[in-house]
Amino acid sequence: MSQLHWYLLVAVLLFCIGLYGLVQRRSLIAMLIALELMLAAISLNVVAITSLAGGDAESATGNVSSAGQVVAVILIGVAAAEGAIALSLFVAIQREVQSINVEDLSELKG
Amino acid sequence: MTGPTLAALLAQFAPLAACAVVLVALRGRPRTAAALAIAGMAVSFAASAWLVAAVAVPGRSFLAQTVFLPVDQAHSLAFGVLLDTLSTTMALVVSAVTLAVMVYSTGYMAGDPGFARYYGFLALFGWAMQGLVLSANLLQTLAFWELVGLASFLLIGFWFERAAPAAAARKAFIMTRVGDVGFLLGVLLLIRTLGLATIPDVIAAAAPGGALTGRTIAVAAALLLMGVIGKSAQGPLFTWLPDAMEGPTPVSALLHSATMVAAGVYLVARLHPLFLAAPDVMRGLLWLAIATALATATMAMVATDIKRVLAYSTISQLAYMLMGLAAGSVTAGYFHLVTHAGFKALLFLSAGIFIHHAHSNDMREIAGRDPRAQRAGAIGLVAGSAALAGVIPFAGYFSKEAILGAVGAHGTTLVLALAYAGAALTAYYSFRMVFLTLVPAGAGATEAGGAHGGHGGTGAPAHRRTPGERAMGVTVLVLAALTLVLGYLGPWLGVRLLPGEAVREPFELGTGALVALALVAAGIGLAWIEFGRAGAPRIGFLERVPALARFCGDNWYLDRLYRATVVRWAAALARAAQWNDRTVVDGATDGVANGTVGGGRLLALVQNGNVQAYLTVAALLLAALAYALGRVAVAP
Amino acid sequence: MNWDAFLFGSSAALALIGALFAVSLKNIFHNILGFALALVGVAGLFLTLGSDFLAIVLLLVYVGALGIAMVYAVMLSQPLDTPRTPRSLPKIAGSALLAALVAMALWLVIRRAHFPGPPEVLEVAPQWIGRRLLQDYVLAFELISVLLVVAMMGAVMVARRDPARRDPGRRAPGTAAGTAPRPGAPR
Repeated sequence: MSQLHWYLLVAVLLFCIGLYGLVQRRSLIAMLIALELMLAAISLNVVAITSLAGGDAESATGNVSSAGQVVAVILIGVAAAEGAIALSLFVAIQREVQSINVEDLSELKG
Repeated sequence: MTGPTLAALLAQFAPLAACAVVLVALRGRPRTAAALAIAGMAVSFAASAWLVAAVAVPGRSFLAQTVFLPVDQAHSLAFGVLLDTLSTTMALVVSAVTLAVMVYSTGYMAGDPGFARYYGFLALFGWAMQGLVLSANLLQTLAFWELVGLASFLLIGFWFERAAPAAAARKAFIMTRVGDVGFLLGVLLLIRTLGLATIPDVIAAAAPGGALTGRTIAVAAALLLMGVIGKSAQGPLFTWLPDAMEGPTPVSALLHSATMVAAGVYLVARLHPLFLAAPDVMRGLLWLAIATALATATMAMVATDIKRVLAYSTISQLAYMLMGLAAGSVTAGYFHLVTHAGFKALLFLSAGIFIHHAHSNDMREIAGRDPRAQRAGAIGLVAGSAALAGVIPFAGYFSKEAILGAVGAHGTTLVLALAYAGAALTAYYSFRMVFLTLVPAGAGATEAGGAHGGHGGTGAPAHRRTPGERAMGVTVLVLAALTLVLGYLGPWLGVRLLPGEAVREPFELGTGALVALALVAAGIGLAWIEFGRAGAPRIGFLERVPALARFCGDNWYLDRLYRATVVRWAAALARAAQWNDRTVVDGATDGVANGTVGGGRLLALVQNGNVQAYLTVAALLLAALAYALGRVAVAP
Repeated sequence: MNWDAFLFGSSAALALIGALFAVSLKNIFHNILGFALALVGVAGLFLTLGSDFLAIVLLLVYVGALGIAMVYAVMLSQPLDTPRTPRSLPKIAGSALLAALVAMALWLVIRRAHFPGPPEVLEVAPQWIGRRLLQDYVLAFELISVLLVVAMMGAVMVARRDPARRDPGRRAPGTAAGTAPRPGAPR
């Protein structure tokens, strides 16, 4: 198992722990935490692959590794924006339904 | 298209056109409807008269047929006309009686809210009966046979708002339907063997050396006879006819005495060679007919409703016609059909005059209102009864003589003796009816008559006759005159129907004729003793025995038997079918629907609004996809 | 001593243990702290990969901004003295099973994948990232800026209390009482 595979293993484990938390936890904020964990795992994945197995392709501005890091930066930005909106939504939900238990938010059903 | 064909088509379709126009457009205009229907029937009468003049020549027969629905080589549906003496004279009789009834009805049915509908249905009947009479092949006959049954249903149940006419119409339709099953099977048997042959072809095939075997002929004859028994109210299927008297009296005159019920007799006459080729069947018919004749004569002897007396009499006389045919003489049977049409229609229409004034069918009530004041009705009643009884020189004598002669020539002595006994009973009950109706009952009745007489002013010189009443009277008198004339038609018919048969002179009085006349006189005399003379007890010898009176008065308990057996079984079957329909068929359909809804509800549980459940499913699918992709080696 | 391996191992351990704390502990604050710990571990992994800039940015944004925001949200939302509903064992088991299945499936894909060889240079200078952002990926850069502005405004609007709804009698600002003419009044 090469070095890259170790990094990828960690990323997979992180992702799946996040998935576990997303599906199991009842509180919305706990679900958000798990979701952010998953996003972090994805960033790790991208950076690991581009850093350790990007090949020798180069452009005028840099190699593959820098492209992977740009992706990770953008991803972090998206995660931050999403987290902010989610948290303000939770505040509004708490005001309306007096609960942030995801099992209480199930009106859209058949 | 040649002249006779055109005339035949006109005879059929003029009434149909009138019917269509009346029923569609003229419901609100009774007088126009009546005029149009009468006009249509008059055209039909004129066409039939022309046909008789043109075609009723000894030995001439004319057939024109066109295929309108080809099926395959031998089986196509064809429509055509068969013209010879039998069919053209029958067409003339039908159109004449229908026309007379239509004219009469302008008076009888005046003021009825369904006046236009009545004339529409009468025109419908006119078309159907003419079509039946003139049809060229058996399938066409069957179609018109059913149409005539439909017309009968519509007209018996004309006053359908009341329960009794509606029930009577249903009973008539269903009972004739039972017979029609046999008719249909017989027709199908013949079609299977011969293809869709015309009637002359069928007759030719029944001759020795033709395409039909003896067994086929016998079976077909028996099946066709089932239809005859149903339609002509013979044997076990007769009880619908007395009930059919719920319809208006002109309808009873037209359908249930002169024409429709005679269709069965006409069919036997039409296919007579076929029936003659099945002698066992004919023997059975002979016995059935004589039994029916005598049984219904006893029922006529105890009835108090004038129309019921006439109904039983009709059945009895139809049985006589069938006896003549079964004994081998088509002339005798058909001749009696023609004269019977004349005098039975006369009797019904005369009775109608009395019923119209007394507002009751009961002879005792009619008697109380001094019916002799309705002169036309009285004349008609007496003339018709004389013809019915077989008094010389009225028409019925000659035709009944012909039948008795035929039975004597070909039947056993026992049958002949029974036939003579029937003739005596016929004379008895017909004049019982005359005396009960026309002779006021003793001293007490005159007071009751006076009390009733003040109301309605029946026919007193001070009473002005309405045009309708005049029409009724005139029709009756015309028919009464005919009964004196029709008797002389016998030889004319005989020559044309069966060329070569010995012609009997009308006034040839052999021993048979004298015996018959003596019996008739005895019957009339007994009726006079019991009902007619002053101080008569006005109760018949059969009525004196209460058990017999009940037995004969209730159709020999045949209706009770049917109610206890057939009706009950049919009702049970119907209930079972209804249960099946509700539980099995509807249950299956509802089950599918409920199952679908339930299945949907079950599946809807997946959409439970729980985000984490959705996520679980998505993640599982992702894993499955990854697994599927991962098994494929990624190319280097 | 193999410092690379040691650094990798400790960072990985931190990340995983922090993640486990983040998803399994009962107290929500413990979860947030576990989250921060996990991210420290991930930052360490980034460092071993030569991405210093990224590691710092990760810590700043995730832990500094997001983590604190989460703490605020927790304090604004649930009262800490609500009785806890007990966790259901089937749900835990099911979720764990799901996570295991997904992990195995993903690992299967990774195992069979063929990666190209490593690049020559491992370390990435921040200038390179800047150059990339402003030349090759300038569109993504602009879009992420827009996204962040929109997210900011959206978060404020969503969380804002609607002033008119609290007090039905209170008019929206801008209407003065009595200045509109009453209908039907003379002239």
